[in-house]
Amino acid sequence: MIVVTPPDSTPSALYADYVDGETARVERVSLQLEVYSNSLILTRPEGGEIIWPLSDIREIPDQAASEMVVCTSINDPDARLLVSGWAVVAELRSRIRGFHQAGTQIGGQTIAKWALGAFASVAFIVFAMIPLLANQMARLLPPAGEVALGEATFEQIRVALGRTGMPAKTCNRGIGVAALNKMETALSQGLDLPYPVNLTVLDSPIVNAFALPGGQIVLFDGLLKAANSTDEVAAVLAHEIGHVAERDPTRMALRSAGSIGVLGLLFGDFAGGFVVLSLANTMIEANYSQSAETAADEFAHERLKAAGLRPDALADMFETMKKLGGDAKGIQAYFSSHPATDARINAAKAASAGMDANVTPILSRLEWRSLQMICK
Amino acid sequence: MAIGSLKTLFAGEKGPLFQLAFKTSLLTFLTLGIYRFWMKTRMRRYLWSAIVPGGAPLEYTGRGSEKLLGFLIAVVFLAFYIGVVNLILMFISFTVMNGSGGGYLLSFVGLIPVYFFARYRARRYILARTRWRGIRFGLEPGAWGYAWRAIVHLLISILSLGWLWPRMTFWLEKYRTDRTWYGDAKFTQGGKWTMLYGPFKHLIVPAYISIAIGVGLSVVSNPISLGMLLIVTIPWALVGFVHYRVQSFRILAENKSLAGLQFQPHPRSSRILGIYILGPILVSILAGLALGLLGGVFAVIANFPGMPGIDAQLLLQGGSIATWLVIGFGALTYFFIFILYGALYQTFVTLPLIGHYAETLSIMGAESLVQVTQRHRDDAKEAGGFAEALDVGAAI
Ligand SMILES: [Zn+2]
Repeated sequence: MIVVTPPDSTPSALYADYVDGETARVERVSLQLEVYSNSLILTRPEGGEIIWPLSDIREIPDQAASEMVVCTSINDPDARLLVSGWAVVAELRSRIRGFHQAGTQIGGQTIAKWALGAFASVAFIVFAMIPLLANQMARLLPPAGEVALGEATFEQIRVALGRTGMPAKTCNRGIGVAALNKMETALSQGLDLPYPVNLTVLDSPIVNAFALPGGQIVLFDGLLKAANSTDEVAAVLAHEIGHVAERDPTRMALRSAGSIGVLGLLFGDFAGGFVVLSLANTMIEANYSQSAETAADEFAHERLKAAGLRPDALADMFETMKKLGGDAKGIQAYFSSHPATDARINAAKAASAGMDANVTPILSRLEWRSLQMICK
Repeated sequence: MAIGSLKTLFAGEKGPLFQLAFKTSLLTFLTLGIYRFWMKTRMRRYLWSAIVPGGAPLEYTGRGSEKLLGFLIAVVFLAFYIGVVNLILMFISFTVMNGSGGGYLLSFVGLIPVYFFARYRARRYILARTRWRGIRFGLEPGAWGYAWRAIVHLLISILSLGWLWPRMTFWLEKYRTDRTWYGDAKFTQGGKWTMLYGPFKHLIVPAYISIAIGVGLSVVSNPISLGMLLIVTIPWALVGFVHYRVQSFRILAENKSLAGLQFQPHPRSSRILGIYILGPILVSILAGLALGLLGGVFAVIANFPGMPGIDAQLLLQGGSIATWLVIGFGALTYFFIFILYGALYQTFVTLPLIGHYAETLSIMGAESLVQVTQRHRDDAKEAGGFAEALDVGAAI
């Protein structure tokens, strides 16, 4: 029998604290390493030996005290041996075989089962229950409530688009506003909307427009600058009025309010979560919009005709956006409510079949210039 | 020192803890959050083992896989609650009150019972996975009983305009303590709720004075009163709040007993306050330095010929590879600073806080520990998953 006595060890290093996992009593045991049987022998203070084969000993990981090693035996997992002293710790570490994980490992199958359950539950709620509820609620929400919802959403978007912490500026140079209102009046004439359409131009180079709950329609300065004619802007506006008439934005806002909470729950409060969260939510919204877009396009075709314009003005606008590379690419897609597809361009052209090529635009040349200069 | 008196050592060190925190947060980021269950488990394992009463460190025996499972179980139930209930509350708020404020308030109120439920369940799981001298702790089931009691106490505290707050502190602690076990030995919370008024007066008195001055200021503005409010009474109330937290813990712990054991904690409010004030300042300075360094690199890259300027709106337009490089670098910097901040916070706030509570704790009457025997393992299957999902699992 050989007693391990590293050169610099103090006599106390040959002892260790032992708990048997049955009582809270700490025993001071003496340690002996028996080389021929390759085991550690713990001699208890009241006599009696505990023999732990070295191959059974495991270290408890992530321990704070660096000069101490806490180990257990796989055959006696409730017992603990606390060995202190650099030399003995080093000696022991060189002979024992890896780490012990206390507690029971949960089987992969159990986790898979519950992961599937959680996934199914979340999918059901996000893709079935919340849309269903949101549709019902959008119908039941009083107009004043929708307007309030729209205002709350608008402020968030302004902040998101702002530069250096300042919310994006709204543009309201006098003549431009009058021109915009004239266009809106011409397009929504005879419509029975639950609330008046409320137009805003945001000072941002993004080539886009979107509608919010409560009749709020936002055009970006970038869109006004990029448009080649007053009819193209009118077409976009008519399309957005279509969303308002269908209460699409209300449904979308309610839906994302419900799903953001659930997705936040899933990904937790950590940095990566936020990105996944917004991406996931974008996917939901894009998926949602697709079906509503065609309806809004058809609505726009009708409104444009009623205002004496050609529906293919919408096609022209899509072509303009395509040329600019604004075909719902990149981060901009998040705010884009109208991906310009060929199918939609063709539909707009088809709707204009047999119409006179020369129509009178809603705005005069002067009004159109002032609208383009609404943000200066 | 009397026979059977155990001193508590604290073995936690800033360097190794920071390394562990940084490494595990990085893994959490790389696995889109999945690793966070293992991260929490490993952090707890380290911090528990740093607390060494009478030479034997605490041991945390929870498993990451167990936490993941608990989280999944909680998600199945909570997804419904959060998604559907939130949506209904938002609808009600926009229908009735024409604003989202009411909805947020309602959904917050609706979560209060779940919050208390989750806190109790999390505590049960943590105790079931904590060992000292090889013996397990445990907490009896009783989360719903805790939740409704907590709500009644909260209502009483609110109705008494804050004056009965210590009553809530005491009775909730007693509910938890009287259901806590160490092996086959049961904890008992003694004492009376009125004993907490000593530290409480430093919270309630300045709070009332602040409110009185605030009301006075809304009638007539007066620079002297405003100064009093900002320099004297509000800081006093904040210090009083920390003092109450620390000293109510001390008083309650002194009045706990366990199979002949008594506890003698001596935490100092000034030290805890110092950690709460100086810790975050230090963390912010260090994270700010790292950000400044990365910002410099970023500026060099962004101003490279052919690179677009840093303009959020132009970036939104999307487009070139260069733009995406800039965005990518910015995002990585953001995550890096986020992770760094978290790890530094654990190192300079969480660790010293636990350290101070540990080092100032003595346990008397340790000779009776030899009679304590092991208790059965509590499955605590959902492993604090509700608290995890709701993020009410405290800092660690
Ligand atoms: Zn659209």
